[in-house]
Amino acid sequence: MRRRPSRAAHLGSGAGDTEEFEGLRVRGLTIVYGTEAGELAAVRQVDLDLQAGTITGLVGESGSGKSTLALAMLNAVPSPGRITAGSVTMSGIGDITRLRGRALREVRGGVLGYVFQASQNSLNPLKRVGAQLLDLARSHGVPQPRLILGEAQRLCERMGLDATRVLSSYQHELSGGMRQRVGIVFALVLNAKVLILDEPTTALDMLSQAAVLQVVREIHAERRLATVVITHDIAVVAEMADRVVVTYAGRIVESGATGDVLRHAAHPYTRALLRSIPRISGDISAAEPLPGRPPDLASIPTVGCVFRARCPLALPICSEVDPATVSVGPGHATACHLAAGPLAVPERTEEVAG
Amino acid sequence: MVPASPPIAAQSTGRGAGARRRRLKGVARRLGARIVAALVMIWAVATLTFFLVHALPGNPVQVQYETLISHGVPPAQALKETRIIYGFVSHEPVVSQYGSYLWQLIHLNLGKSISYSGVSVSHLVLSAAPWTVILVLSGVLVSFLLGVLAGAVAAVRRTSKLGDLLSVSGSLLHGIPQFVMAVLLAYVFTTLLPVFPFGAPYNITVTPGWNLGYIGSLVTHAVLPVFAYALSSYGGWMLSMKSSVVSVLGDDFVLAAELRGLKPLTQLRYVARNALLPLFTVLALSIGFMFGGSIFIEDVFDYPGLGHLLLASISARDYPLMSGTFLLITVAVILSNLLADLLYTLIDPRVRGQAS
Ligand SMILES: Nc1ncnc2c1ncn2[C@@H]1O[C@H](COP(=O)(O)OP(=O)(O)O)[C@@H](O)[C@H]1O
Ligand code: SF4
Ligand SMILES: [Mg+2]
Repeated sequence: MRRRPSRAAHLGSGAGDTEEFEGLRVRGLTIVYGTEAGELAAVRQVDLDLQAGTITGLVGESGSGKSTLALAMLNAVPSPGRITAGSVTMSGIGDITRLRGRALREVRGGVLGYVFQASQNSLNPLKRVGAQLLDLARSHGVPQPRLILGEAQRLCERMGLDATRVLSSYQHELSGGMRQRVGIVFALVLNAKVLILDEPTTALDMLSQAAVLQVVREIHAERRLATVVITHDIAVVAEMADRVVVTYAGRIVESGATGDVLRHAAHPYTRALLRSIPRISGDISAAEPLPGRPPDLASIPTVGCVFRARCPLALPICSEVDPATVSVGPGHATACHLAAGPLAVPERTEEVAG
Repeated sequence: MVPASPPIAAQSTGRGAGARRRRLKGVARRLGARIVAALVMIWAVATLTFFLVHALPGNPVQVQYETLISHGVPPAQALKETRIIYGFVSHEPVVSQYGSYLWQLIHLNLGKSISYSGVSVSHLVLSAAPWTVILVLSGVLVSFLLGVLAGAVAAVRRTSKLGDLLSVSGSLLHGIPQFVMAVLLAYVFTTLLPVFPFGAPYNITVTPGWNLGYIGSLVTHAVLPVFAYALSSYGGWMLSMKSSVVSVLGDDFVLAAELRGLKPLTQLRYVARNALLPLFTVLALSIGFMFGGSIFIEDVFDYPGLGHLLLASISARDYPLMSGTFLLITVAVILSNLLADLLYTLIDPRVRGQAS
């Protein structure tokens, strides 16, 4: 390994460790699922900072552990999964992975607003939306639970919903897009500090998608939230995020400011992801699908680079040594042997020249 | 920043009222359709009973008439008596026989019993009905409570020994027919370990009324038959509840409730209500099954309800009593189905909203 210590970096962390940090900080997080083949890591050694005022885009193919990571932020990894190492620290609260019972419950929904992947069906089908908002308020000890309905109404209207109708409706009376927005309202109505959106746009058409993301961005800015948008769609990230974190097979392989990562992708996987989408400029035929299949838990290598089976640039060292995380620019880091040493093969020749 | 604005909530009833009215209309329409369906079904069963008695070998109505004649009763008198017993006379054309049968039925006149000579069938049937209804409803209640509780526990603890044990108890009891269950209970608890009395609904030495002796006697006499009903239905409830809870626990909204930090009790209420809902469709079936089972269970415990009466009328070839009892059992089943359906409609907003 030819890693230079001065270039070592925390993947996914934007701020230096020494500054006063406001937001959610993940360190060394490893999550395993118990399977017939034993405990397999779905998330391994992840460091990630969700800083107040920053929208982080967490991007990667389906199955790369994004939802698992997001659930771990609420200490809610479902069985047979469990967190085996690491911490999730919320400023002003502490390590969420150590919280239990009432304290944990108050953080969920109160501090961490989660809009989960299946928010199509995130409501009790037998209760009106308004009544469920009251349940939420009561569960979190809001002194005057009914006031929450006013706040919910304002949020609904900003999302382009007929608030009065929505609050007196049952879930089955709402369309997919409306349910998704109601899910966001539930996450924001208690003034959470962290907003976690897991695949927020899957149920929406392009137009409502843009509108909803716009409103989320506004509220994010007004409340100085720490927002993370989880998606397999790098276009959503390009649109929304201040920072991009790229995951592959449960690891973070690259992170940095959105512009830097999109323009100067350092990791072969990120480059492949970028090539796989039609450019904003249009030419669909220019999109190259990502070759190979995303790994399942059992086929993720435990030694060496997890991407090597699909990497066009893989070297012998890639199957023997874990690539270290190195800085490739201000706030921009990657875990790839090519970026670490003089063997580095630049993506474009003009970058070498320049 | 907790919202400081005036509670806009007050307005939410305004535009919601339209939706509510629509929903109520849906409920009313559904209820109306169900009542009509129930009446049609009762009519169909009555018609079937009429033609069955009519088609019985040896035509009992004709036999009755001829018996009277051979006893020296004048034909006019014989006709009149036959009509009193069956509501119709087989000399008349079938259509007018059927017409007068229905006419009597509408007036709740089911004719007169032959074996209890001279006593009206309505009287016999109506005095037997409460015993059956009490047993069946208690049986439903007991089996529902036991089954639902055990099913919920079995679902939550499905990976533990307790869960396995409960599931096995459900499958085992589910497989035992009512009749066998009744005989088993009767044998064990009145003969082997005589802890409960056998037979009639209360001890003849106590005077009926609001006194402890009577009520206590009623209860001790009812325990075994009620448990025969309950245990034969318990398995069904338990297994349905278990699978219902398991499926609801896997629903997205349950995870969502947890991730939103809802109180454990609120989460429990969400799960319980959603898991119980599908059981209301089982309720209708279960009540019908129990009324049917009354024939065996009341026979085993010598309990004077409708099932007992039906068997007695069959062995006495008392056709008016037979058809009257059969009709009443059917009506009870249809009415309880109607009730279960109504309950379901009231609880599930998704059904409520639909037009029919
Ligand atoms: N309950 C579970 N049991 C076993 N494996 C699971 C479970 N949930 C998810 N996984 C596995 O963990 C990996 C990551 O899943 P997930 O976090 O849902 O990825 P993503 O959200 O990026 O699509 C996948 O390989 C998936 O098969
Ligand atoms: S470490 Fe090796 S295999 Fe992994 S991405 Fe870099 S070059 Fe490819
Ligand atoms: Mg996911």
